[in-house]
Amino acid sequence: MKIGLEVHVALPTHSKLFCSCSTEDADQPNTNICPICMGFPGSKPSLNKEAVRIAKSVSKALNCKINQSISFVRKTYFYPDLPKSFQITQLAGSIGIGGEIKLSSSTVRIRRIQIEEDPARIIRESKYTLLDFNRSGIPLIEIVTDPDITSEDQLREFLSVLRSILYYIGVDIDKEMKADLNISLGENRVEIKNVTGIKNLIDASRYETKRQGEIIKSGRQPEKETRSYEEASQTTVSSREKETDEEYGYIYEPDLTDFSVSGLEIKEDVFDARQISREIADKYSLDYKTILELIALDKDALNLLKHGLEKTNLKPDLVLNALEAKKRFGNAVNEKSLVLLAGYIEKGIQIDREIIKKVENGIPPAEDVISDEKIDDSIEKELSSSPDLVERYKKNPKVVDFIVSTISKKYGIPQKKVAVRIKDILAKYIK
Amino acid sequence: MKYIEEFLKKEKPSGYYNKLLEELGGLNRKFGAFNFINKQISAGFPMSVKDNICVKGMETTASSKILKGYIPPFSATVIKRLEKEGFSILGKTNMDEFGFGSFGINSETPAKNPFDETRVAGGSSSGAAIATAILKYHVAVAESTGGSIAAPASFCGVVGFTPTYGLISRYGLIDYSNSLDKIGFMSRSSEDIRTLMGKSIGKDPADTTSVDAVLNNVSKQRLVIVDELYSKIDKNIKSSFDNTVKKLSSAGFKIEHLSIPEIDYSIPVYYIISMAEASTNLAKFTGFKYGLKVDDFSKGYNDFFTEAREAFGEEAKRKILLGTFIRGASVRSKYYEKALKIRRAIKDKMSSFLKDSFVISPTMPVIAPTIKEAQSFTPLQNYSMDLLTIPSNLCGFPSISLPSDYLNGLPVGIQITGGQFEDMGLVSFGEEWEKSFKYNFKYNLGDL
Repeated sequence: MKIGLEVHVALPTHSKLFCSCSTEDADQPNTNICPICMGFPGSKPSLNKEAVRIAKSVSKALNCKINQSISFVRKTYFYPDLPKSFQITQLAGSIGIGGEIKLSSSTVRIRRIQIEEDPARIIRESKYTLLDFNRSGIPLIEIVTDPDITSEDQLREFLSVLRSILYYIGVDIDKEMKADLNISLGENRVEIKNVTGIKNLIDASRYETKRQGEIIKSGRQPEKETRSYEEASQTTVSSREKETDEEYGYIYEPDLTDFSVSGLEIKEDVFDARQISREIADKYSLDYKTILELIALDKDALNLLKHGLEKTNLKPDLVLNALEAKKRFGNAVNEKSLVLLAGYIEKGIQIDREIIKKVENGIPPAEDVISDEKIDDSIEKELSSSPDLVERYKKNPKVVDFIVSTISKKYGIPQKKVAVRIKDILAKYIK
Repeated sequence: MKYIEEFLKKEKPSGYYNKLLEELGGLNRKFGAFNFINKQISAGFPMSVKDNICVKGMETTASSKILKGYIPPFSATVIKRLEKEGFSILGKTNMDEFGFGSFGINSETPAKNPFDETRVAGGSSSGAAIATAILKYHVAVAESTGGSIAAPASFCGVVGFTPTYGLISRYGLIDYSNSLDKIGFMSRSSEDIRTLMGKSIGKDPADTTSVDAVLNNVSKQRLVIVDELYSKIDKNIKSSFDNTVKKLSSAGFKIEHLSIPEIDYSIPVYYIISMAEASTNLAKFTGFKYGLKVDDFSKGYNDFFTEAREAFGEEAKRKILLGTFIRGASVRSKYYEKALKIRRAIKDKMSSFLKDSFVISPTMPVIAPTIKEAQSFTPLQNYSMDLLTIPSNLCGFPSISLPSDYLNGLPVGIQITGGQFEDMGLVSFGEEWEKSFKYNFKYNLGDL
């Protein structure tokens, strides 16, 4: 199996690629528009340098050679969402050429990275079609890979690595990601156009793998064709397009001069979350996967992790545990509250909203002055007042964890301490 | 003669503009100069605008049915700049549809020559030239892709100026071929061209290809005649041109003949590039956002825009078909990419000998043909008319067309081409020329 991708992602700029219209989501359709993004006669494009700058960062992050002088082309075709009936995009003068992404056991080559304009949005109603040009001219990059992906696992890994790398440059791949998926099990390439989002992409590839596999098993070859993905049924269907190579009649965009990118500064730190996770895991003897999951799409978590490990005296595994709480409770966990939070964890207290509130208000965990007697009394009190707890424990001994946490919370006793005594006392109740 | 300056100094009688509009209306019906006359004009120096240049709130059709009713929501940069300097819009001038033509007959109203109404006015900026030839105090904002200013200026006996590519912003121009299109001017004197250039050039952030440049009055004493061009001139024109060259020689210019074999490729290279670009520019006209409206929305999109595009004229359709073919993946390197290379070679060659000389030639290889003759020309005969004017557009160099003779009462022009940014050197040449050669005008509407 060979899979290649053309991934389209919107770039986080304030204005569109060739005009000054806002890229913000608008309440009303056709409000962020002007003669340029509507393709009115007489209008001309002016290049948004910030879009080029971000595309340059992406190219560098994906190990591409950066074209110092970029140029644009017109890709001509007729479709109602395309206001000029040509899209301004890139070919030979693309910003990035010949990169790669290394996966755990393979490498996916990046053929090129190009900058282009998004068409308008088509809204299909039963009897008519509506067009919203707010999207027309939003800057996109298209990342074109070689057909180097050979399994669903690799596809999944590729997408998550790509997403993380782009995340650290400020590009959100899942927001409006559209991809064309080229997939071939046999002799002919099948292209599945315009699949949106990572989940659909994986589902589409799974269905298509199965479909082509069955055709080959029956002794035939899948046809060379374009298909589309239907989200509701998780299947692909033939688009019934002519089986010829598409003819876009490319010419240079004569309204844009060649543009030198050498003056554009790459501000974003380009790095790979996998590499950072590996370094941290090795240095502090922590679990690589846990770290990667925490930081792959969370810049704050990475900073907090580094802060906790480098700037505090906390034990590394406590820092990591505190950060897992951050995953659940978000921004309430910050540099200030990290040490406090770790203190609760160290005492074995289960972290919940109330604890987080205490941490936010700077309240440290209560001093450990609870006598053994008081612990036993508390347990006794709870069990005698809630016979149903005992009954549930009889049926399922695992309920003990729940009982411990309930008592811990209710009487303010660390879970560890409750746990030490609970079984002895429970034994009396289930004679 | 400084018409602009003179007009501003002179007292205008009350009702001046109304009288001007009234007289213009009559002559316009005769010659077809304007697609639209601005009845609101009541002050300022009258300026006409070629109908492919957008003016906010004024119908702009590029003489095409497909743009009927298009009222741009913005004005071209050059128009905004000139309006700020006291120029007022008298109207939108007739032209060959989208600039596709050398005679002004590819329009619903074929333009007629003010010196002989059975003859063509030249194109594609036909109306601009007619307006300049009939109005005393007026300048025309026109546009050239391959000679669309020089050709009608020469046939109508006025000064036509095509500047260096990029000096005047193209923002607001309805494109024919973006890498060749230049906005320029027509007037009754070179001095007025100097005034117009001073008020309109310079970088415009809305047009990436526009530039800032310091323009000097370059003076050159060497004039070059290119053999390959000279050999293809009609014999009437040739003898008139020889006389003009003799005059210049006795005025102290050094005349030289030179061979540039590459220049023979100008016409094919020009038509390949311009058709490739034009066919993409015309793709946006699909009849549902502006201009011509197709009311039947029940059809699929392909049928819908196909119906709308039937409104294109014959030459526009020819350019769409040939241009689309030229861009095709299987022939792109054979035509389009090769043409870009040859264009570069011609430019390099021209640059090398323009260092210390100007190029001189007649503007057109023939005198203005009759409308009947022009209508019977084959496309190839039509295209060959641009032979002398194309090189300046291909290279982006400035050129000026000056009336130089009258043959049987019909104006004939010479064209001087300079190097990049030598625009004012050409204007100076024109100013000198006008000291010894007086232009004839049959009409002087708006005289004071």
